[in-house]
Amino acid sequence: MAADVASGSTVIVVDGVTKHYPGVRALTDAHLSIRAGEIRALLGRNGAGKSTLIRVLSGVERPDAGTVTVAGEAFGDGGVRRAAELGINTVHQELSLVAELSVAENLYLGRWPRRGGAVDYATMRAGAADVFGRLGLDIDPDAPVGSLSLASRQLVEICRAVREQPRLLILDEPTSALAAAEVDVVLETVTRIASAGVAVLYVSHRLEEIRRISHSATVMRDGRIVDTVDVGDADTGTIVSLMLGDTARAAERPPERNVDRDGTPLLSVRGLAVPPKVLDVSFDLHAGEVLGIGGLMGSGRTEVLRALAGFDPAAHGTISVEGREIAHPSAAVMKRLGIGMTPEDRKDEGVVPLLGVDENLVLSKFSTVSSGPTVRPGRVRKAAERLIERLSIATASARTPIVNLSGGNQQKAVIGRWLHAGSRILLLDEPTRGVDVQAKAEIYRLVRELADGGAAIVFVSGELEELPLVCDRVLTLREGRVAAELTGADLTTDSVLSAAMAA
Amino acid sequence: MTATQTTPQQRRGRVGRPFAGRSLNEIGLIAAIVVLYVVLGSTAAGFLSLDNQLGMLRDAATVGIAAWGVTLVIIAGEIDISIGPAVAFSSVLVAKGAAEWGLGIGPAILLTLAAGAAWGALAGWLRARFDVPSFIATLGIWSALGGLGLYLTDALPVVLPESGLMNTLGGSILGIPTPAIIMVVLFFVFAYVARYTGYGRSVYAVGGNAPAARMAGINLARVRVLLFATTGLLSAITGVLLAARLGSGNGGAASGLEFDVIAAVVIGGTALAGGRGTMLGTLLGVGFITVISNGLVLLGVNSFLQNVVRGVIIVAAVLVNVVITKRARATRET
Repeated sequence: MAADVASGSTVIVVDGVTKHYPGVRALTDAHLSIRAGEIRALLGRNGAGKSTLIRVLSGVERPDAGTVTVAGEAFGDGGVRRAAELGINTVHQELSLVAELSVAENLYLGRWPRRGGAVDYATMRAGAADVFGRLGLDIDPDAPVGSLSLASRQLVEICRAVREQPRLLILDEPTSALAAAEVDVVLETVTRIASAGVAVLYVSHRLEEIRRISHSATVMRDGRIVDTVDVGDADTGTIVSLMLGDTARAAERPPERNVDRDGTPLLSVRGLAVPPKVLDVSFDLHAGEVLGIGGLMGSGRTEVLRALAGFDPAAHGTISVEGREIAHPSAAVMKRLGIGMTPEDRKDEGVVPLLGVDENLVLSKFSTVSSGPTVRPGRVRKAAERLIERLSIATASARTPIVNLSGGNQQKAVIGRWLHAGSRILLLDEPTRGVDVQAKAEIYRLVRELADGGAAIVFVSGELEELPLVCDRVLTLREGRVAAELTGADLTTDSVLSAAMAA
Repeated sequence: MTATQTTPQQRRGRVGRPFAGRSLNEIGLIAAIVVLYVVLGSTAAGFLSLDNQLGMLRDAATVGIAAWGVTLVIIAGEIDISIGPAVAFSSVLVAKGAAEWGLGIGPAILLTLAAGAAWGALAGWLRARFDVPSFIATLGIWSALGGLGLYLTDALPVVLPESGLMNTLGGSILGIPTPAIIMVVLFFVFAYVARYTGYGRSVYAVGGNAPAARMAGINLARVRVLLFATTGLLSAITGVLLAARLGSGNGGAASGLEFDVIAAVVIGGTALAGGRGTMLGTLLGVGFITVISNGLVLLGVNSFLQNVVRGVIIVAAVLVNVVITKRARATRET
C-alpha cells in the first residue's frame, strides 16, 4: 500500500479542462488534483477520454477551455516544452527506446552528455547507475536495450522519465504488455518513485494492480470525470458500473440461439500454452456457435488465436479438429482443416490495400478460380460478386481497390476471404476495431448469420462490452488463463468486465 | 517492499550481453582472413610478397575510404549506391580542373572535394526534405555523374599535369601507399565519430528507431543531409587518389565499386535494416573482399569466373553473419 500522502503539497490542478475534436466531445469540464507522493489511478473504457486528458497534460494537445496549474505555476499555452519545463513526464504505451543502443545511452537519448566534445560514457553510466540505485533496480547500464526483457525495457523507459526529475509522472498502461511475474517489479518501482515525492498518474485496467499501489482511482466515462473513489472501499462491481454508465449496460442482448453442444466439437483445445502470454487455455467449440474470448490487453487473446491458426507453435497442449488431434499444427495444415483467422491489424496484416476487393477475396484460394495454373478473371469476378452480395459489402465495383472501402467493409472482405476458402472455423481477432457503430452492428449480424449457417466462430475483443451482443458464450482470459466462462443469463456486460478486471 | 528487485528476466538480460553475435562475426571474419592468408600463401605464387601486400593495401583504400561513410549511411537505415560513378567523375573533375581549366592542382582538388560534399548533400536533402528514398536519390546521382563524366571527356582519359603533390598522393610515404595511410587515418576518425560524438550516436538512434529519435529531439534532417554529404566527400577523395595513381581522370573508372563497398559493409556485420554495425566490422569486411579479389587474380582464375566466385563468397559470408545474429538473438530471448 502507498504511504500516507495526506501531507503532500498539491502538484497539479486540472480545472474545467475541455477539449473537443470535430464531432467528438473528447474531454468535458475535467477537474482533478494530485498531491506530491500520491499515485492516482485513472480508469475508463476505450474512448472514455483518458488519452485526451494525458495528451493535454503532456502538452501535446491544447485545451479549448479550462486551466492546468503545476506547483502553483500556470501551464498556459505551453505545449510539450512547457510541460517538460514544469516537470511533467509521460511514459507512453509504445516503447520509445532504441534497441541497439545501451541502456545508459537510451536514458540520455538525444541529450548525451559531452566532455571535450566527446560523448561522455562515464557520466552517462554513473547517471544511470544512480537512478537504478535509487530505485533498487539491477539493470546493467552497458547492456544493449535489445537484450533486455520487456519488463526491463519498460523500467528503462520509466527511469528515463525519472532521470529528468519530474514532479508529475504519467504512466499509460505500463504493465499491459507484461506477464504477471514481471508486473511486480514495475509496481514496486512506481511505488518507490512516488515515495520520493513525485505525483504519479497511473492508467491501468487491472484493478488488482491499482489496489496494490494506490489509494484512489479517478474514473472517466464519455469524456467526463465521473468520480474519484477510494479503491480500498469500492468493490469491483461499483467501479465497473461507474465505467460503464447506464447506456452501455442497457444495450440489448440478442435472443438466445440454440447451439447443439452434444456432438463432437468442431474445435477442441486442451491445456494450450504459448509462454509467456498464454499459460493454460482449454475450450470446446461446436458448429453453429459463437464463442467470445475477452480479456484486457496482454491477457493472451491474440496469442491463443495465432496458435490455433498454426502461426505460432504451442509449447504445450493439444488442438483437435472434429475429434482428431492435430500432431503438427502449421499454418498450411490448419488452413486445409478449415481454420481461417482474421488479424486484429486490418491495415497491416489483413488487406492488400491496392488490390481490388475481388483479388483480396480470392487470395486465400486460387484453385477454385483457375483452370490449371491460369487464374480466370471471369471466375474471380463471379466468386467475388457472390461474396460481395452475401456479405453486403458496400463497394463501387468488385475491382475497386479495397483501400477505398470503409473499415467495416474492409473487415467483411477479410472475413469473406475465408468463406471463399471454405473455412468452417473462423477466428476473428478484434473484427470491430476502428469501425463505426453502424458497421459494428452489421458485423455482429454477419457473424451470427455465419454461425446460423453452421460455421464455428471465435470472436476476440478487447471491447468487452460488445461480447454479450454477439456471442453465445464468453471466456474471459486473465494472465494467460481462463478466468471465467459466462453463458446464458450470466453473460452480461457487467459480468464480463468484472471477470476480466477482478483480482 | 523487498530488498532486491531483480527478476530472472533481468539476470538473463545481463548474461546475454552485449551482442555476442556481433563480436562473433568479427572473430569469424578475422579467422576467415587468416585462413585465406594460409591457403593463398601456400597456393598463389607471390601472394605473400611485400609488393603484393602493399598493392593490396592500395586496393583496399579504394574500397575502404568510401566504406567508412557508407557504414554510417547503412546504420542510419539508408543506402548510397552512387560511389562508383561519383569516384570516376571526381577523377575527371580534378584532372580537368588542373589540366584544362588552369586552376592549379591544389584548387582543383579543393573544388572536387567541395563538389563531392555538395552532390552528397543534395541527395541527403532530397531524402530528408521530400522523403525521396535514398536508393532512388543516389541512383539519380549514380546515373547523372556517370553520364557527365563520360560526356565531359568523350570517354577518353584526361591526363594530369605533372605535380609533386599528385605524385605523393598516388605514390608512397616511407614505402607505404599514400591512399592506405589516408584510409587508416580516416578509419580512426570515423570510428571515433561513430562511437564518441553526438552525431555518431544519433546515426545509430535514427537507424534503430527513427520515431524515438525524433521524440528525443534529434534533428533527423540534419543527420541525413550530413550522412550523404560525407559519402559524397569520401567519393571525391577516392576519385582524387585514383586520378593521382593513374595519372589521369577517367569517366569510366571504378565501375561497380559501389557494390564492393556495400558488400564490405554488410559482410562486416552492418544490418541493411539499420541500427546495427561497427567500423571495425567494415574494416574486416574491406580486408576480406580485398584479399579474395587479389587471390583470385593471382590464382589465374578466369576474370569472368572471378565475378561468379566473388558473388558466391559474398552471399555466403552474409548468410553466415545472419545465421549467427539470429541464433544469438534467439538465445537471448528464451
